[in-house]
Amino acid sequence: MASACAWSVALVGLEGRVVEVEADIGAGLPRTVLVGLPDSALYQARDRCKAAVSNSGQEWPISLLTVNLSPATLPKAGSHYDAAIVAAVLAAQGVFRAEELRRTVLLGEVGLDGRLRPVRGILPATLAAQQAGFTRVIVPLRQAGEAKLVEGIEVFGIASITQLVAFLQGIPMPPVDPIEVIGERVGGHPSRHLDLADVVGQVEAKWACEVAAAGRHHMLFHGPPGVGKTMLAERVPGLLPDLNVRDALEVSAVHSLAGFNLADELITRPPYSDPHHSASVASIVGGGQRMAKPGAISCAHKGVLFLDEAPEFQPTVLEALRTPLESGMITLGRSELHARYPARFQLILAANPCPCGQAATPGGLCQCSPMVVRRYAEKISGPIRDRIDINQAFLPLRKAYLKATLQRVESSAVVAERVLEARDRQRRRLAGSGWLTNGEVAGTYLRRYLPLPDDLQTVDEAVDRGRLSARGVDKVLRLAWTAADLAGRDKPGRDELAIALAMRRGEQPGTICRGVG
Amino acid sequence: MPRTESKQQLGVRGEDLACAELERQGMQVLERNWRCRLGEIDIVAADAGANGLTLVFCEVKCRSGLGFGHPLEAITYAKMRTLRQLAAVWMREHRMTASSIRLDAIGVVLAPGQEPSLTHVKAVG
Repeated sequence: MASACAWSVALVGLEGRVVEVEADIGAGLPRTVLVGLPDSALYQARDRCKAAVSNSGQEWPISLLTVNLSPATLPKAGSHYDAAIVAAVLAAQGVFRAEELRRTVLLGEVGLDGRLRPVRGILPATLAAQQAGFTRVIVPLRQAGEAKLVEGIEVFGIASITQLVAFLQGIPMPPVDPIEVIGERVGGHPSRHLDLADVVGQVEAKWACEVAAAGRHHMLFHGPPGVGKTMLAERVPGLLPDLNVRDALEVSAVHSLAGFNLADELITRPPYSDPHHSASVASIVGGGQRMAKPGAISCAHKGVLFLDEAPEFQPTVLEALRTPLESGMITLGRSELHARYPARFQLILAANPCPCGQAATPGGLCQCSPMVVRRYAEKISGPIRDRIDINQAFLPLRKAYLKATLQRVESSAVVAERVLEARDRQRRRLAGSGWLTNGEVAGTYLRRYLPLPDDLQTVDEAVDRGRLSARGVDKVLRLAWTAADLAGRDKPGRDELAIALAMRRGEQPGTICRGVG
Repeated sequence: MPRTESKQQLGVRGEDLACAELERQGMQVLERNWRCRLGEIDIVAADAGANGLTLVFCEVKCRSGLGFGHPLEAITYAKMRTLRQLAAVWMREHRMTASSIRLDAIGVVLAPGQEPSLTHVKAVG
């Protein structure tokens, strides 16, 4: 009898595919059929939309209604198709002209009372719509700000089906009562004002953090409890420069997909993620049964992932980090699709040297047997250790030392400025290579296209003695470059190489760093 | 509240209207309210088209308002399945043959003080 179509977006990972929602009112007993591989949340859209339309003063067709989501072979999940389904059904009934829905993407879940509710992934979905050539997008009113972050597409925030109908009929929209929303996170990132100056002592560790922040190097902190490992790690994101526009869009898209309400602004600060050590593999790398959601590593994309008490994590969780650490992304395979998420995070691990935490600490009384100490250290496996650039030992503070260092403490702002300068040098040097920081540069590029440091003797010696692996040499070179960038030099020299070697090998007492190289 | 009309009376009135509609469409009503052990057929009609005789078995549902939904929504899959079986029994008992048979549903809304509204859905089962 009559049919019409509306458009929505299916998200597979961060990539969106445009979905055509067709509604056909045909002859037959009153029934609503929803076809096109919906998941259960989407299948229930039938009943949701019917109630919502009836409660909005519109009629649900009293005949056989077939709703098809095309391409029919693509599995679809979630409740954000509701708005498009309602629009297609109403257009098929002639409530408004079907042409009104051309080049328009609709996103949003409907409530039984007919209001449009917020959904996950508005930002990446809008981005996909814009790239597919759509000129306008209709989103739940409270998410209009998020959608407006995408340029080149008109955004309309709609509060209810009544408003949607009025909008598509071209008549003034009726006002709506503001709805109080309870229990929703808004802008999931409280801006942290943590200052480096709060941390007493640990000058070397602060220097290590500065180097790590400048070159995006991975770090392992080890030392007895209570010396400031966690405090320092929390302050690393504060040293990082703001994200550029492209990164900000990508990071915001991941967070939108993970369910954070972005409010009205892009995430411009590097994100920080510190999952508890009871975390499951799926929560860290991402997961879910049919649709894989981004995990902690993707939420830490372009930011910092801090694993406190690293040996307490399940071994499988730590090992799952191996591939994303190298590739900067994660591909999650599920029976019906593969989702790919970016995961170029900077890893910081913190560990105690043994269960009691006192092993190899001067003045500490460790009661653990050597075997226990060794087992504890082995929980962070060789392959993971090999991917760590900086091994930083923390020593307990002495009273005199405390007094001496209290006098000159640098604030985060001062350090962040040096980091920003070093980042600028890197960006200029690596221009055209596709990388931005020393930590990401591939080994071949490092050795072939960048000048080698003058005095490689120390590194050669370390390799000869078997204390440095091939990957280790690259790591040392990267660290040396960062040290040179921080020092404002054009090329790392003997000093920078020595610093890099010491950082890589963690030349401090402590069992946990034994055998690294 | 005084009832002006019983449920049965309402049903009969609806079926009268349905018959009138079928006849308006050029069909001939053969039988009404035919019962057997299995149940009841509301209307049996003959539709003589270009492709020969079509027997139409029609289920009529009548309601006095939309408060409990449209009458057609009350015609369930189970009802149509019964109607299909009844059609076979009816044809056997009447020794009738036809080139095809069709199951129709008619929903009638008889709201007090309003024009009756009738919805005819052809070939539903």
